[in-house]
This record gives sequence, C-alpha cells and structure tokens, in this order.
Amino acid sequence: MAKKHFLYIVLIINFLSCRENDNTVENILIKGSDTEVNVALALAEHYMEKEPLVSIAVTGGGSGTGIAALLSGKTNIANASRPMNAEEYHLATSRSIHPKPIIFGLDALAIVTHASNPLDSLSLADLGRIFRGEITTWAELGGPEKPVSLYGRQSNSGTFLYFRDRVLAADYAASLKQMNGTAQIVEAIATDPAGIGYVGIGYLSEQERKLTTSIKVLKISSLSNSRAFSPLIYTNISSGKYPIIRPLYQYINGQPHGRLLDFLLFTIGEEGQGIVRKSGYYPISESQYAENLKLLDSEMAIK
Amino acid sequence: MKINVYLADRLASILFQVAGWLSVAILFGIFALLLFNGVKAFAHVQPSEFFLGTIWNPAAYDRPQYGIISLIFSTLLITSGAMLIAVPLGIGTAAYLAEMAPASVYRFLKPAIELFAGIPSVAVGFIGITVVAPAIARIFGLNNGLNALNGSLLLAIMALPTIITVSEDAIRAVPTTFREASFALGASPWVTLRRVTLPAALSGILAAVMLGFGRALGETMTVLMATGNALAFPNGFFDPVRTMTAAIAIELGETARDTTHYYALFAVGAVLFVISLVVNVLSERLARRFRYKNE
Amino acid sequence: MRNKVEVKNLNLYFGEKHALKNISLGIPEHSVVALIGPSGCGKSTLLRSMNRMHDLNSTVRIRGEILLDGHNILHGNTNPVKLRRRIGMVFQKPNPFPKSIYENVAYGLEINGVTEKDKIREMVEQSIRGSSLWDEVKDDLHKPALDLSGGQQQRLCVARAIAVEPEVILMDEPCSALDPISTAKIEALILRLKERFTIVIVTHNMQQAQRVADYTAFMYLGEVIEAGRTADIFGQPKQDLTRNYVSGHFG
Repeated sequence: MAKKHFLYIVLIINFLSCRENDNTVENILIKGSDTEVNVALALAEHYMEKEPLVSIAVTGGGSGTGIAALLSGKTNIANASRPMNAEEYHLATSRSIHPKPIIFGLDALAIVTHASNPLDSLSLADLGRIFRGEITTWAELGGPEKPVSLYGRQSNSGTFLYFRDRVLAADYAASLKQMNGTAQIVEAIATDPAGIGYVGIGYLSEQERKLTTSIKVLKISSLSNSRAFSPLIYTNISSGKYPIIRPLYQYINGQPHGRLLDFLLFTIGEEGQGIVRKSGYYPISESQYAENLKLLDSEMAIK
Repeated sequence: MKINVYLADRLASILFQVAGWLSVAILFGIFALLLFNGVKAFAHVQPSEFFLGTIWNPAAYDRPQYGIISLIFSTLLITSGAMLIAVPLGIGTAAYLAEMAPASVYRFLKPAIELFAGIPSVAVGFIGITVVAPAIARIFGLNNGLNALNGSLLLAIMALPTIITVSEDAIRAVPTTFREASFALGASPWVTLRRVTLPAALSGILAAVMLGFGRALGETMTVLMATGNALAFPNGFFDPVRTMTAAIAIELGETARDTTHYYALFAVGAVLFVISLVVNVLSERLARRFRYKNE
Repeated sequence: MRNKVEVKNLNLYFGEKHALKNISLGIPEHSVVALIGPSGCGKSTLLRSMNRMHDLNSTVRIRGEILLDGHNILHGNTNPVKLRRRIGMVFQKPNPFPKSIYENVAYGLEINGVTEKDKIREMVEQSIRGSSLWDEVKDDLHKPALDLSGGQQQRLCVARAIAVEPEVILMDEPCSALDPISTAKIEALILRLKERFTIVIVTHNMQQAQRVADYTAFMYLGEVIEAGRTADIFGQPKQDLTRNYVSGHFG
C-alpha cells in the first residue's frame, strides 16, 4: 500500500516539474463558423503533429458565436465565414478589443440546378433577380415553362447572409425554401427539375462525381454580356473571374505572439494552404497573403 | 418497526407531493420566463404587427418584420392535416389490434408500432426529403414536395404510435359485458365496434388524439427539414410552410442576446405555449364530459 | 308441447378441460326452464352455447347438436349474428350501454334494420312497458341508463332484449346482483314474458327456480343429473345427488 502511494507521489512530482521546466505548452482556442470547422480541425491537427507542445481546441457554433467569444475574450481565434459587422466592431471598440481579419482560404458558392435544366450559365444580375423573386419562371430565361423553385440555407447560416448581401442586396423572395444544411439543398434539387440553389464549393468537390448525374453547376458571369466562368476550375477562382467568392476569416485580437502567431503563419503558408485545398476550399491569392503578413506584423513574420 | 413503516409512508408521500408541486412550479417558471422575455419584444415591435402581421422575416435585408400569423397558420395547417390522416388511421389500427388481430399478427405488429415511436425525428425528416417529398411531387405533378402536405404526412407518422397505443388501451378497457350485450342483440363485430365499443372508449381515445396532437404541434426537427421553411404565407397544403417551432429552432441559435429578434422568439414560444395549454385544457374538459356521461 | 330448443349429446371443451359432458335436454316452447347446480357445474356454459357466445373464445371446442326449431345452430352454415336475433340474452350483472335509456332499447332495433323513427319510438315504449319499467322512466328516457338503480338497469336490459322480438330469452342469473324487491319484480316479469317467449334461466336460488320455472334441470360437474317438471325435481327427485342439492346439503 505504502509503496503504491509513494509511486503516485513520484509521478505527480514528475508531472509538476515537467510542467515547470517546459512551460511552453500553449493552448490555443478556436471557435466559430461551422463552414470552417473541418478545415480548421485539419490545420490544427497537422500543426500539433509538428509542435507537440501546442494544444489547439476547435469548436463550431457559427460565425456570430465565434466573434462573440472573441469580443468577450473567450477565444484566441474567431473563425468567421463573413466579415464582422458594424455593430460587432462597435462592441469591440467599447471593450478595447482590436480585431484583425486573417484570410486563410476562399470559398466559392456554386449555383446548382437540376441536371435537366437547359441553362448552362447565368449572369450575377439575373441570379439576383431570380432569388429576389423578380424572375419567377424559367421561360423568362429561355428555359422551360416551369415556375422557379428556390432553395437556400436557413437564416442562421453565414452563407444565407453572405449570398443575400453579395448577390441580392435585398431580401430573398418569400418563396425561398430554407433548407437545414447544404446536403439537403443538394438532395432537394436533385429531385426538383425546377430547382435552383447555392452550395459551398467545399461540399461539391467532395461529392462532384456522385452528383453530376442529377445536378448541374452553372457558370456565372459578372456582367450580363461578359463571359461566364465555372467555379469548379481553380484558376477561375484565384484570378477572381468567378464572381461569388467569399474569404474565410480568422479573427484575432491585436498583435499575436509566440505559438499563436506561428500557427497563423502556418495556416497561410505553403503547407497550410495545401490543407485548405484538400479540405475543398481554394487557397488565398498572393495579394491576400501579403495583406495578411502586414496585419501579422511583417517584422515578426520574418523568421 | 410499526413507526418505521409509518415514517416511510409519510416520507414517500411528502416526496411525491414535492415532486408534483415541483413540476407545476417548473411549468409556471417556463411560462414566466417566456412571457418575461417575450414581452420585451414589444418595446420595438407593435403588438398589432406581431399578432396581426402575416410576414415573419426578422433577418430581413433592411426592415425586419415580426408577424406571427403565418407561423401560427402554418403550424395549425400541418398539425390539423396530420390529425386528419393520423386520427382515423390510428383509431382504426387500435381497434384492429384490440378487437380483431389474431395473436400471431398482434405479436408482430405491436412491437413494430412501438418501435416506430422511437425513430428519431431527424431520421423522419431525412426520409421526408429523400422519399416522401419526391413521391408527393410525382403524384400531384409538382416540381417538389417540400410543402405542408409533406409535413402533415410525416407528423401523422410520428403521431400514430401515440394515438394507436393510447387508443388501444382505452378500447381494451371497455368492459367485455358491453360487447357481449351488443353481440347478444344480433350485432356484428363491426357494428359493435362502431356503435358500442368506440363510443364507450371515447374519453380515452380523445386523450390519445390530444396527445398525438401535442406531439405534432411541438415537433421541430422534422418540419424544419421537410416543409421548405419559406417565409411566404401558405395558400394550402402544396405550399412550403414555416412553423413556430422551426422558426425558433432555426433562428435562436445565431440570434444575438437581448436583441428585439431574440425577445420576439421568446414571444413566439409563449404563444406556442398558450396554444398547447388551450389544447390540453380543452381536451381535458372534453374527456371529462364524456367520462361523466359514461360512468 | 314441442321443444323449442333441443340439446343433443353436447360436449364442450375449454382447451383440455371437458366442461360439458354429453348433455341432452329439451326446452319446451313458451315455458320457463331453470338450470340449477353448484358453481362451476357448467350451467352458464350450457346457456351461452345456445346463442353461440362461445364463438368469441378461440379455445372452445364444441361437439354435438343444439336444435332451434329442428335446425342445428352449431352447424357452420348458421350465421351466429342472425341466430342471436332469435335468441336474446340477459346477463348476470346489469350491463346497459353507456348511452341514454332510450338509446339502449333503440340500439337493437336500429342495428336490425328498423329505420323509421316513429316505429322505433313506439317499439321502445312497448318494450319498456313490457319490462315493467315504463312508469319509472317515462320522463327520463334521454337520461343516462347508468343513472338507474341496479334493478331498473336489469329490467332495462330485459326491455333491450325483448325489443328485437327474439323467440328465446336466455337469462344468466339475472337477479344475483339485485335486492329482494328488484328480484321480485324481475320474477313477475319472467312469468309474464313466457306468454310470448321461451325462457331459459340459470339460477343459484332454488326458491327462485321453484317460483318461476315450469321445468328444472339439475347439473353437476358438467353433466345434467336430472331434468323434469320443477315440482318433481324439488318434490320427489329420483337421484340422491339431486335430493342432497335441493335440500341444501351442498352447493
């Protein structure tokens, strides 16, 4: 009995001294966007493999939840699939918090229809008209005599808000069917010959092969008379030719140091961007990279 | 020893009394919380807009709208649709199980129905999107079946086990002497069931229907997934609907605390609470009336 | 007098249990026949075979014949629903439906195809008068039958049974749940009804059998030990077993 107790004590002392000697074990908390949660987890896992003394915890909850946590000092990084809004910035200032947006990937929203839809491309303006409810039949676009059936995400989704602000700049048509997730939008459109909806490109590249028989990804043009581009081709995204791209943000508070800074540099670096690509999103452009470095303080970044 | 038994009795009685009062207190607490928060919404929303407005769009691009009528109408539309399907089917099945099913069929059917009650609502919703909705679209020649009818069908499926189980018990509780008296007068089994057994079981069947109604009224996940959730005011069973439960479940998660939207969702919750309360009280009254008549 | 009902070599089993053993018995038309015997002797079982109430129990097997006007009612061709319109029944415990007094009596008429409201009203009144209940309930016809006293309920059950004008009425200890005054009323009723119907009554009460029955059958352990005129069964029984029973030595 006594021997056993002794063993425990030795173990505990060992453990304590370990902590004391190597006090570099650092915890990083990441919270926010559900869209980003998988890519953030992949990044964290790879980073922790390289740096065993760092522990990173990633949780979802939505962009708003992550930003709220950053503003109340409960997370190191807030993942967001939308920029912070004025109200949130206002709250930040009042709490002496200085949010910095680090863009670590690009998400293109693909516009999908039923495979039988004769349309191949749409202009951004027509897309807006469709989702605002101004165009109500496919015939108006040269398609079949069918009422347009709209699918979108539910109003708690960052994608719902992004698409609305970027493409509609007004309210969605009241007839929009608000689906409980990307998978369900695709499920619904696969059986609805008059359906149209938007889905994150990350979802499509995973499922692309399975879906090509039942749904179709439209090419989108920025102007009604300009060329339309497909979001399935990377160069269309990186060159900015495909018009519905949104940055994926990591918000931090003020100047990061140490492991936090190191992790952020890892996410925008070559290896991190490879992981972003594998997760189904697109890497950031060179100018975005340079902008990130400026925000992270270039002096510190040179390492 | 005697004193100990007495004490244990007293203790148990006190314990259960406390538990009973506690549940009442919790119920009132929930309602108070809903009401307390819900009322705050009226600081920015006119009660007339809330109670008479037909558009619910708090996440609007410029001006949020908080009309609850379409939510209430949607909820009642699919719930009553579900009851139209589930009540006759449920009572019929219950009568079959209680009165006619051979033991071999019963042994198989009864656990199958009980198992039905255990299907998670997410799974039912998924079936709704992938199987029922396309079937509705094909049968009625629509582009898609994400509409009130889909919700009603799914809710009917979910309410059925409750209605069947409780009705079956009610039918079994009808004294055999009533049936015998009817048979002795030359009534067929069908006539006996319809004219004697079912009327005698009415108070229990009514309770079953109300339980099923409550189940359908409060169901969230299935309708949230399978009814389209459009904001437009539905014109019938072929239009998508957004129910009160779905609105709360979808929106509360990402709504900032202490905003008008946040409080308005509590107000919706309070209205839903009142509706279920009214339904319950009415059914209790009704059941009591029939019970009185029967006994 | 001819036999309205004739039981021939009847054997009945509840699963493995041999409940009725080779029973033969005649029920003369327009008479009252009492079945007496100790509990469990099979008298109720025999009674319930006569309108095929055992059909509801799948464990019951029956061999032999029960003839109603010469036709075997146990034959597969006999429709039990139609049969029961000819052979009515009054049960041990009063069992009016949870409906109004009027509806209780009208029920049998309605399910048997009487649709004219006036006719139903007339027949309901006749039947309730026929069961000596009219004066007590004529102002309360639409009140719940379950509000009546036990004796009134039982007379209502008689009214319900006679409303459909059966030929035979089976009574399964109709007075066992009633007080003496109500019992006396039912007995008087039985004596009046035999003008119109043939009545078989199961009873525990030997005085009752003597008061109402023209014929009596004594049953014991599933067998008819002795049957004959009531006066003979009680006055000069041929079997020791019968003598012991009717003189109150057992039972």
